[in-house]
Amino acid sequence: MNARKLPTVAGTPARAGAPIAGAWTSTLALALSGVVPAALAAAMVLLAPQAVAQGTKGDPKAAEAKIGACIGCHAIPGYKASFPMVYSVPMIHGQSAKYIENALTAYRSGDRAHPTMRAIAGSLSDQDIADLAAYYGKPQEKK
Amino acid sequence: MSPVGIPVRTRAVSRSFLPLLTAAALLAVAAPALSADLGAGEKLANERCAACHGKDGNTPIDPSYPRLSGQHEDYLVHAMRAYKVDERKNPIMGAQAKMLSRDDILNLAAFYARQPGMLNHDR
Repeated sequence: MNARKLPTVAGTPARAGAPIAGAWTSTLALALSGVVPAALAAAMVLLAPQAVAQGTKGDPKAAEAKIGACIGCHAIPGYKASFPMVYSVPMIHGQSAKYIENALTAYRSGDRAHPTMRAIAGSLSDQDIADLAAYYGKPQEKK
Repeated sequence: MSPVGIPVRTRAVSRSFLPLLTAAALLAVAAPALSADLGAGEKLANERCAACHGKDGNTPIDPSYPRLSGQHEDYLVHAMRAYKVDERKNPIMGAQAKMLSRDDILNLAAFYARQPGMLNHDR
């Protein structure tokens, strides 16, 4: 990878420099070598497919054994999330299936931050997520 | 009018207003919709949201886009705010939400929460 070579490339100008300049350059190189891979990693995270594995087919019947962690909040009218902010937990039944799949995947990866949802989604497999999306999601009406 | 009389009088007035002020403050917290402008929300919804989320807020053009109509008002506010400050990351919604003022967000949430939708609390 490019990032590997950076310290050497950036370090090269130090040849002509006084010791102080050399030290400065290698500090810069060190900083860059940290920044660039971090930026690349961030870019890769953004580009990485966030969905569940392709071809995972959701089974709404199988989800019936998996909704225990959902109904304690989402099936109670008026229930509010209390941490870190107070607001009504969203209604999820009837939502777009793919949206639910994406939300759970994003919570699982930490892309979407909510302590409770992060903890719950963290224990879900791709199959679990597909099943729950199929269970709660309602397909688009044909128009 | 004695210099002493004025503060006393002021204190008396402010005390009599206290319950009213408290009630107003509570209402402002409990019911954002009271101050929301549904007409402005509808206008903005048609201009900015309908193209993707559907004209009725129930028929998004892509299956990965959520239905909005009938969703809890305070959750919609929370979601738009989260997109606005990049707490929730999405290139499209991030850009859209950044163009919304606080009032825009309150008006939109009030509007969509009052539209008939298919979302519910069923388990």
